[in-house]
Amino acid sequence: MDLLRAKVLSNEEIMPSTHVLALASPELGRTAAPGQFVHIRSGPTWDPLLRRPMSIYKIRPDGVSIMVRAIGAGSTMIAASVPGGWLDCLGPLGTPFELGPDSRRLLMVGGGYGVAPLVALAELALPRDCEVVLLVGAASAQYVFPSALLPTDVEYEVATVDGTLGHHGLVTELAARYLEWSDAIYACGPTPMLRAVALAARPLARAGGGAVPSTKRVELAMEQDMGCAMGVCLACVVKTRRGLQRVCRDGPVFRAEELVWESSA
Amino acid sequence: MSRMGVDLAPRNMHGLSLINPVMVASGTFGYGVEYQSLVDIQRLGGICSKGVTVRPRDGNPTPRIAETPSGMLNAIGLQNVGLRRVISEKAPIWDRWRVPVIVNISGESIQEFEELAASLEGVPGVAGLEVNISCPNIRAGGRLFADCTESAAAVTRATRDVTSLPLMVKLSPNVGDIVSIAVAVEEQGADCISLANTLLGMTIDVRTGRPGIANVSAGLSGPAIRPIIVRMVYQVAAAISVPIVGVGGVTCTEDALQYLMAGATAVQVGTANFVNPRVALEIVDGLDAYLDAHGYAHVSEVVGIALPSRRAVPTSGVC
Ligand SMILES: Cc1cc2nc3c(=O)[nH]c(=O)nc-3n(C[C@H](O)[C@H](O)[C@H](O)COP(=O)(O)OP(=O)(O)OC[C@H]3O[C@@H](n4cnc5c(N)ncnc54)[C@H](O)[C@@H]3O)c2cc1C
Ligand SMILES: Cc1cc2nc3c(=O)[nH]c(=O)nc-3n(C[C@H](O)[C@H](O)[C@H](O)COP(=O)(O)O)c2cc1C
Ligand code: FES
Repeated sequence: MDLLRAKVLSNEEIMPSTHVLALASPELGRTAAPGQFVHIRSGPTWDPLLRRPMSIYKIRPDGVSIMVRAIGAGSTMIAASVPGGWLDCLGPLGTPFELGPDSRRLLMVGGGYGVAPLVALAELALPRDCEVVLLVGAASAQYVFPSALLPTDVEYEVATVDGTLGHHGLVTELAARYLEWSDAIYACGPTPMLRAVALAARPLARAGGGAVPSTKRVELAMEQDMGCAMGVCLACVVKTRRGLQRVCRDGPVFRAEELVWESSA
Repeated sequence: MSRMGVDLAPRNMHGLSLINPVMVASGTFGYGVEYQSLVDIQRLGGICSKGVTVRPRDGNPTPRIAETPSGMLNAIGLQNVGLRRVISEKAPIWDRWRVPVIVNISGESIQEFEELAASLEGVPGVAGLEVNISCPNIRAGGRLFADCTESAAAVTRATRDVTSLPLMVKLSPNVGDIVSIAVAVEEQGADCISLANTLLGMTIDVRTGRPGIANVSAGLSGPAIRPIIVRMVYQVAAAISVPIVGVGGVTCTEDALQYLMAGATAVQVGTANFVNPRVALEIVDGLDAYLDAHGYAHVSEVVGIALPSRRAVPTSGVC
């Protein structure tokens, strides 16, 4: 982990307002792992003030790529980076996904730009004799991650909220079919989606709240507003069985059984 | 003492000597250890720890922060490990460091401030206390100690009476008459004052129609507040004689110089650490270069040169 300037090698708009930026940084390429993120300054001035967390989307020996959805001022500035320019990056940060030694059938569930770290994970897992099913949810067809950007061995299914492509509905509805099949589940996306995945993957939970710990590995990459991303400001906490944990340091990847979901969430 | 060294507690038996006037602010640098891999923390003037309370606290619900123009709002709610663990786990680490660590303490009653101050007295690794009086006084119906002259003075007196440690009292900017509060705090035995904590603000998420921060009210920090705090330092500097530490929106050498010229002996860098963890050290180097460029023999020569009393006498080397 370091504070570094990474050169932007390329910038490609892969979907409306969603850009893939390839960054040159041997250090990031060497040390980053799927599930980790980089904390990026959106410009040289102090407005917008804070860095923006972006997941590692691809890992190469000479650097990493990120996938940026432009939604507000900061992400729009980062998404507009021109090749040849530089990005001020802090990273890689956070705890990565873990591939269990015995996991062979991996179910991955991504919502929106949450697909980004799962692509990195799939690329790591496939050469290790794993089968990967990737389910992705989006608002509509134009925001569905293009299958051409995935390794061919990934089995890919999509769900759209408006029904313009794939399953008409939520991605978690698709997941039900693969729960039995999978021996590990990885998810990244909006919190309600992660919660639904966590609940669906807990078939042994008993009425009355006494959850029987499932042996299946279920890992969720959480999102929370971040300030420092270094574990000091305590902005990014989530409730876990071990008390409050920081998404930037103790996460973003958490084991599902560790998380405590607010009833209103 | 080198030409960058300052003493923030010249009247105190222990003193509070810093190798340079650039500290990092409470709540923006954790317990000092978190940034160690990125920053040569021993080169900092000082580290103010995250606010410590008598018992561990979980803090407020999320969302706890929101960005604002050139600033941010926070309502962390003083999440911290509590006094006992600070003494048993953090202080032994600080004791091995050259950089002084000033423990920021927060109480909900005068008794809690006394307990915090008394317990930290004599703990190796604790160089001084920063008394955060911007916390609600449970006895006084939740009004902040910092809000009125009497309660600010009372907390200062109470902590002064139980500790010989250098005492930095951190004032709130959310008051009408900052000068009289600073004067009262000085009279009750503060070795120095830090000015200031965050400004109260709020934001509303127009998509949901609800406050953007779960706690509703939050503290504004960052460059946005700097002009307000520089003005306060300037006003207070004319009225008190103990050192002042300027805190609010310091992001670069020029910002630090503004505070020094307004009468601050040192500065604390807060929110800017989140953006550039190395910024405090860049300011140290920047100040050093500034002294060179302008022919100053010591950083204290810059302190207060903007004040009316000093302006009357043309200072050599300023041009
Ligand atoms: C660990 C982690 C990893 C992340 N990885 C990625 C990634 O790989 N790619 C990526 O694009 N983003 C990622 N994000 C999210 C990204 O950091 C934020 O989208 C970004 O910081 C927003 O900054 P902004 O300045 O564009 O928007 P802001 O100015 O901060 O917000 C703009 C407006 O949009 C609203 N808003 C915020 N989120 C959403 C939303 N999801 N949908 C609609 N409106 C919203 C805000 O409330 C605000 O009103 C990640 C976040 C975390 C915590
Ligand atoms: C996330 C965050 C947490 C803070 N926590 C504390 C605290 O525990 N005690 C305290 O006295 N001040 C706290 N502060 C206030 C800062 O120490 C500082 O006074 C304020 O942020 C203004 O300086 P800045 O503009 O450089 O950030 C906190 C500020 C932030 C942004
Ligand atoms: S973002 Fe500051 S502690 Fe996680």
